[in-house]
Amino acid sequence: MEHKNESEQSGQTGAAALPIGLPLPLEVRVHGRGGQGGVTCAKLIAALYANMGLYVQTFGDYGSERSGAPVQAFTRVDHRPITNRNKVYRPDHLIVLDPGLMGSQVLSGVAPGALLLLNTTASLDEFGGQYAKYRFAVVDATEIAREQGIGSSSVVIINTTIVGAYARLLGVSMSVLEQSYASLGLVDDLVAARQAYERVKLQEPAEDAGSPAAAGTAAGIELQAVIPVTGLTMDIPAALKTGSWSNQAPVYREYTAPCNAACPAGNDVVGFIQALKHDGPEAAAALLLSTQVLPSVCGRVCPAPCMRECNRGAFDGAVNIRSLERWISDHSLLQPVRETAANPRRVAVVGGGPAGLSAAYQLALRGHGVTIYEAGPALGGVLLNGIPAFRLPLDVLNRDIGRILSLGVEVQYDRQLGRDDLERLEHDYDAVIVCTGFGQAHALSAAGEQLEGVEQGLAFLDRVKQGQVTVEGQVVVVGGGNTAIDCARSALRSGAATVTLVYRRGREEMPAIKEEIEDAEREGVRLMLHRQPLSFSGDGHLSAVVLAEVEQGSPDASGRRRPVITKRTATLACDQVLLALGQQTDIELLPEAWQMRDGRAWRGEQPLQVRFAGDCATGEGTVTHAIGNGRRIAQAALATLAGEPAAPLQEPPEAVVAPAQIRFSHFEVVPPRKDRHLPLATARNSFAEFNLGLAGPEEAERCFSCGQCTKCDTCLIYCPDGVVYRSGEGYRVDEEYCKGCGMCVAECPRYAMEMKEKTSRR
Amino acid sequence: MPVELISANHAAALAATLAGRANRTGRGFCSGVYPITPSTECMEYLCVQEIEKGRVVRVESEHSAMGVCIGASAAGARSFTATSSNGLAYMAENCVAAAGLRLPIVLVVANRTMGPPWNIWADHGDALMLRDQGLIQFYCADNQEVFDTVLSAFRLAEDPRVLMPVMVCMEGFILSHTVAQTRIPAQEEVDRFLPLTNIPQRLGDIPHVLGQMEVPRQTEAHRLQHHTAMLGVSRVYAELQQSFGQIFDRRLPDPVVAYRADDAETLIVSMGTIGATAERVVDALRAQGERVGSLRVRMFRPLPADEIRGWFAGKSRIAVIDRDISLGFGGVLWGELRGLAAAGTLVQNYLAGLGGGDIRPEHLMKILADLRARQAEGPAVLVEAI
Repeated sequence: MEHKNESEQSGQTGAAALPIGLPLPLEVRVHGRGGQGGVTCAKLIAALYANMGLYVQTFGDYGSERSGAPVQAFTRVDHRPITNRNKVYRPDHLIVLDPGLMGSQVLSGVAPGALLLLNTTASLDEFGGQYAKYRFAVVDATEIAREQGIGSSSVVIINTTIVGAYARLLGVSMSVLEQSYASLGLVDDLVAARQAYERVKLQEPAEDAGSPAAAGTAAGIELQAVIPVTGLTMDIPAALKTGSWSNQAPVYREYTAPCNAACPAGNDVVGFIQALKHDGPEAAAALLLSTQVLPSVCGRVCPAPCMRECNRGAFDGAVNIRSLERWISDHSLLQPVRETAANPRRVAVVGGGPAGLSAAYQLALRGHGVTIYEAGPALGGVLLNGIPAFRLPLDVLNRDIGRILSLGVEVQYDRQLGRDDLERLEHDYDAVIVCTGFGQAHALSAAGEQLEGVEQGLAFLDRVKQGQVTVEGQVVVVGGGNTAIDCARSALRSGAATVTLVYRRGREEMPAIKEEIEDAEREGVRLMLHRQPLSFSGDGHLSAVVLAEVEQGSPDASGRRRPVITKRTATLACDQVLLALGQQTDIELLPEAWQMRDGRAWRGEQPLQVRFAGDCATGEGTVTHAIGNGRRIAQAALATLAGEPAAPLQEPPEAVVAPAQIRFSHFEVVPPRKDRHLPLATARNSFAEFNLGLAGPEEAERCFSCGQCTKCDTCLIYCPDGVVYRSGEGYRVDEEYCKGCGMCVAECPRYAMEMKEKTSRR
Repeated sequence: MPVELISANHAAALAATLAGRANRTGRGFCSGVYPITPSTECMEYLCVQEIEKGRVVRVESEHSAMGVCIGASAAGARSFTATSSNGLAYMAENCVAAAGLRLPIVLVVANRTMGPPWNIWADHGDALMLRDQGLIQFYCADNQEVFDTVLSAFRLAEDPRVLMPVMVCMEGFILSHTVAQTRIPAQEEVDRFLPLTNIPQRLGDIPHVLGQMEVPRQTEAHRLQHHTAMLGVSRVYAELQQSFGQIFDRRLPDPVVAYRADDAETLIVSMGTIGATAERVVDALRAQGERVGSLRVRMFRPLPADEIRGWFAGKSRIAVIDRDISLGFGGVLWGELRGLAAAGTLVQNYLAGLGGGDIRPEHLMKILADLRARQAEGPAVLVEAI
């Protein structure tokens, strides 16, 4: 068999002269970043040698990553055809296009005396003796290429420039370089190459630094000790630091979840759901009870604005947050412990409804003395009188109230206070918080409203709560809020033959909780929308109501369309009308010499330690609003007593996580778990609690945890470089190796990460 | 002859271009192409060539790329395409069709690991997937060989005694992206080497069907014809080598490239660029007095079994290195060759460089050390991965 013809020549004619002393075979290794032109640089070098009549071989070594990833490229040069198909492990010449790559990986296999050409802004002196054992050369090819406009301002392509410097180090004449560039069609880049040729600085190796590596044995390869199987790591992509090259890195941060932003009580919704999911109801209750004094109540009757804003609503249905709150309160016995106040205050709270209870609770929790002045014989306010037992059983309310009283809150019952009393309290206590709730119910101002059989809904609900109320015949309820629905359902349970609910707007505009409307309809309440009572008629006792049709006008300030009463009317026979049209705010208690500004009482220019909280001040009309306002007013009172500025009552709107920022594709579709209910036949005749809540806490699993890291490992799994590590309670990104690709941020299912410019982060 | 500094991908495209132009007085050239790493540069380069009476059609998938080639070839044109890895898998149905229709299409494969898990580097497993489907297969070891093999593949495929597709394989990146000096002949030389394409079964003036439904005995007859044609490829190839040498003044490598194998006790058998590394190791060990040789199987289908059996005769130890694995069996090359040695010869399989790992001389040294130890120990185990 014939051997390869080793004396074969490359067959080129007119080749440029070989530089003196060029060691052959020669191996060159170029290190750069994807996009810098490293592979082309190695090809240019190959072309340079090919023009000298030598055999060359050149190839790149890179993965599928995006630009900026470390790239190696190799060029081999010899007198004879090159059969070596391996990567270059022991380069005679090493060219590094990015100083950020310098390190033991890049210098691996480079023998003392080898040529090391570095693209850097630094001068030779700045390296001290760091690379003294090499023929070490520096050139600022980036600056030269940028001046010459090669590449773009952000990604400067330096390959054609640095080859100029390399040619100088080889001892190739400028004219040979010009010929090579001309043959490659690179005449445009010759100016840059010439500048690098002129500017490159070389430092010969120190005397004792040793001789260059042997250029191979007679057979063309060096015999190496066998590498153990476990040591064969050469093919693993080089673990090169990204250094100064990458300009972005991910950071973990929290964003506000829409439910948290929407909660009027200020509950950490995501927090208590995640606590329930991971640590059970006691842990969830501990978090919930820091802001929420009445979880058993709100878990039943809250309109739950959190659920309206829930991002899961845009996916497969909002998380049933209200019922999770109920589940927590029904399944924990947690009693918060009263702290010891450094400087205990005495505070009077006027009114024992939701706002008053919230204020009293927050004050007592912090170790202050609280006395509630309650006009009635029991605490609870509207919760006691205005919400029917089938929605809020008394024992449930008392459970929440008992938790407050256990903190040492004193209550004076049956104390209907007047203006003089308020002045006395202001004198006797460090602070007074007035939470007397709504005043008078709105009247309809319709003819016949005084007829027997026309009654305010709240009065009716109170009567029903007191005991046996019997209703007969046909009942009409006027209004679209929760009180109207409660009236309608209570009337059904009290014996009404039919119940018709009349509301002047459409179903979508009804302020009542959607599920309550549905329940009412299911029980048999008939909705009559876009109708307004004009007059009531009857001979002493009510017998009919005249209803006008209502059309939708232009939108009002609330965005709802203004009702326009038409002349089209109809008469509806009925035996009883319940009016549920809302109530007025009421600060009747305010003494004449006082004024109220921003929820606080002033005597002339003197601010007093008297504040108004809840519906009497705000008229927001829900338990959750009253709880939030009561808490904030209590905190404001304590702050001003301590001489500190009070936090604003209304927190500035926050940027919340939007549905588009959630990666829905990371979640399975799981429809919301619904509440259980009494059978309809039983419910319609009973004041026993209708809604039985959730069967279990599994609904908590559906929470996206918007903007809050759940340690789901998605970032860690998706990182193409494996540089995200679990660390303590969260994760750590090894920025030295992070390329800033942003995959982790893009893949984060819940928007708990973002990319930051590295400079701005420092 | 001009020497160009080009990659093997470009060399393959250039060979196809010259072959395409050579058919300009015949029924022209038509190629369907679709990109996939690492063969993309081949189709890109082909797309920018001006080929008289030639057309390169960019389609939406590898399946359609081969579809275009089948249509072109069935109409009598010279045809060519290139792909890799899962692209070849997607093309496979039509590759089998091209073979069954006995259409002389030249298919360049830049070998790449089949995914997933995704890997863009070299592995022979993609091309070996089509081992049994009636396509001739070559595996190359350097840029010049890629060019020369593609060029001669047209003549081999189109020979009336052969008439079947030829696959020319080169390891992705290791060859496809490596730039080296390549001798490119003049068009006039190529014209002399390549006769005009003549496809006897082409669809012409007389309407007829290709690849219609058959009954068992017809299929048996066609399989026999195809197999017999395969077995005759070696003889046609030898003639072609003669002509190639006369026209281009260099030798087209043999189906099996033996290196210092005559008096060897130990043989390293491999395909593709591993053979080049093996030859360097042979030189090194010969310098130390060891009787080692190398056998590079260049033509894998049809397998030159007799020739290989001849080289195996009298050898003591044979290491068969596969850059592939037939899962549940072992190396594909080893599976083909293990029965060709005489009893008493140790034919041991080594799987190396799967997924594009760099096979260095050190690795082959370790393999030979292992081989010696195994023979000393006795019975061989089936597979050993390094």
